[in-house]
Amino acid sequence: MDKLYDAIFKGMAPLAKTAVLEALDNDKSPQDIIDESMIPAMEAIGQEFEAGNVFVPNLLLSARAMKSALEILKPLMMAGLTTTLGTVVIGTVKGDLHDIGKNLVASMLEGRGFKVINLGTDVSKERFIEAAKENNADIICLSALLTTTMDYMKEIVDAVRADGLDIKIMVGGAPLTQDFATSIGADGYSSNANEAVVVAKKLLS
Amino acid sequence: MTGKERIRTVLEHHEADRIAVDFGTTPVTGIHCKVVEALRKHYGLDDHPVYVHEPGQMLGYIEDDLAEALGTDTAGCFSPKNSIGVWNKDWKKYRMPWGQEVMLPARMVDSFTEKDGGLYSYPEGDKSLPPSCHMPERCYFFDSIERQQGEIDDDNLNVEDNLQEYGEIDDETLSYWKTVTDRAAKTGRAVVAGFGGMALGDVARIISPAIREPRGIRSVAEWYMSTVCRPDYIKELFDRISTLAVKNLEKIYSVVGDNVDVVYVCGADFGTQTSQFMSVDTLNDLYVPYYKRMNDWIHQNTTWNTFKHCCGAIYPLMDSLINAGFDIINPVQIAAKDMDPQRLKDEFGDRVTFWGGGVDTQKTLPFGTPAQVRDEVLKLCEIFSKDGGFVYNTVHNIQANVPVENVVALMDTLKEIRS
Repeated sequence: MDKLYDAIFKGMAPLAKTAVLEALDNDKSPQDIIDESMIPAMEAIGQEFEAGNVFVPNLLLSARAMKSALEILKPLMMAGLTTTLGTVVIGTVKGDLHDIGKNLVASMLEGRGFKVINLGTDVSKERFIEAAKENNADIICLSALLTTTMDYMKEIVDAVRADGLDIKIMVGGAPLTQDFATSIGADGYSSNANEAVVVAKKLLS
Repeated sequence: MTGKERIRTVLEHHEADRIAVDFGTTPVTGIHCKVVEALRKHYGLDDHPVYVHEPGQMLGYIEDDLAEALGTDTAGCFSPKNSIGVWNKDWKKYRMPWGQEVMLPARMVDSFTEKDGGLYSYPEGDKSLPPSCHMPERCYFFDSIERQQGEIDDDNLNVEDNLQEYGEIDDETLSYWKTVTDRAAKTGRAVVAGFGGMALGDVARIISPAIREPRGIRSVAEWYMSTVCRPDYIKELFDRISTLAVKNLEKIYSVVGDNVDVVYVCGADFGTQTSQFMSVDTLNDLYVPYYKRMNDWIHQNTTWNTFKHCCGAIYPLMDSLINAGFDIINPVQIAAKDMDPQRLKDEFGDRVTFWGGGVDTQKTLPFGTPAQVRDEVLKLCEIFSKDGGFVYNTVHNIQANVPVENVVALMDTLKEIRS
């Protein structure tokens, strides 16, 4: 199992695929593989990022390795992940096509045990609400890179509240701050992908 | 002092008669066409549609009358082709989705596809190809569309594929540079030129909206990952680019000579809002030797100063960038982590010129009050301008949603300081 942990930590997708197949051959259940190797590896790389020892490219590589392993496991788990921490609907807001940060947050959340519905970019408030309802989501995550699109986040927060949805809203993106998040009525803010997981866990605790 | 003398003086780390100022001479010190139009109106200048020379960011051309009104000390010389590879000529009027009429090259305008309230544009304006840029509804910019061709096959990666957009400069382009630099030099302002061909790993180039059929590594995320998992490929690529760049620089220098004061070398960003994209060791290993090759040639053979744009929290990388031979750092993103203006000035101010950092464009300029803009401009000018080594510009381009009263407050404060 250490082989899978290492492959994800070091961001080596082909090795992660081999390692997960070996783990299955050794009669490990998909859920145990996720809980014992994959989530700890993603937690470890996240901690290294927080400590300033690795950088965004390393997170991207680990996220990709994790996803490649997860793709093998998902079809084997017909009932889905039995121990998800919660369901997250995530997207970059309308008028904004930037998605590297948003995708990284999505991967980090998925890699740490959340079910993630990624709506892509240029997402309208109506689409966020529709997807949150369809998936019975616990959190909506909004991303924006541009100062010209961050204001749309307030429109989304207002629309979600007006709809009466009982759901937490997290926001993130380069020009955002905690003050901005508070001012638009968001429940959570994070300045990077690793912190987003911590915030999401806290919001659902 | 003329603008040229003022810029030269501060680049030599002496205080000039007043603070040196740049607006609009590079793709990263510009003003969105919407704000350019508002400024032209504010200063009572001739009422005509703004020329957009860089459609990716919809940057408006700062004509001489506006440059005069803004007190700019610089004159920009831009690449003859815009970001989608269309020559900036044969201008045609076009009404943008937000209602503003602008001038864009006819070849680009004629190929636009309007869809869902937004616009698509095509490499070289050729509609037979898939679109390379998209401006969605409610957006004020053209974002590049990733056109990575399938999964990357590491066993067959060929560095030639990532050299598609680089090549030996042709006579037509050389003649263009001679004409535009001659004209710019006659303004008496410092000439800032973006010759191109020197970018190392700038994701705006990697994603390649101008290339008809991109090959190699063309995804932004894939490029960032490659800095970790494909270092040899990157070194080979940078070796080829920097060697070719020096060859082209020799030819360019032979026609433009010392008319040029500042040359824009590279716009690769090494910082996010809260951290850098790589360690100091990785920057020193992958990038610095090749930057040094180009900067050294420039310093040994010309009187040009070298300009490096690099967004984000790059405090830990500053020493390496200076050691790579850059004279100028931009945009000086003071709102990013550890980018405290006083600390930057104290630690690096005698070795590099800060070109930017004059007001925060993520919060104060778009969302602050005119009084807050004024206070910040006063404070930052006091810090950065001491003993020269500072050219006033905002942190990156002035964006579309900035209230014109805030830009006017900025300009009025600058006038007050400079009078």
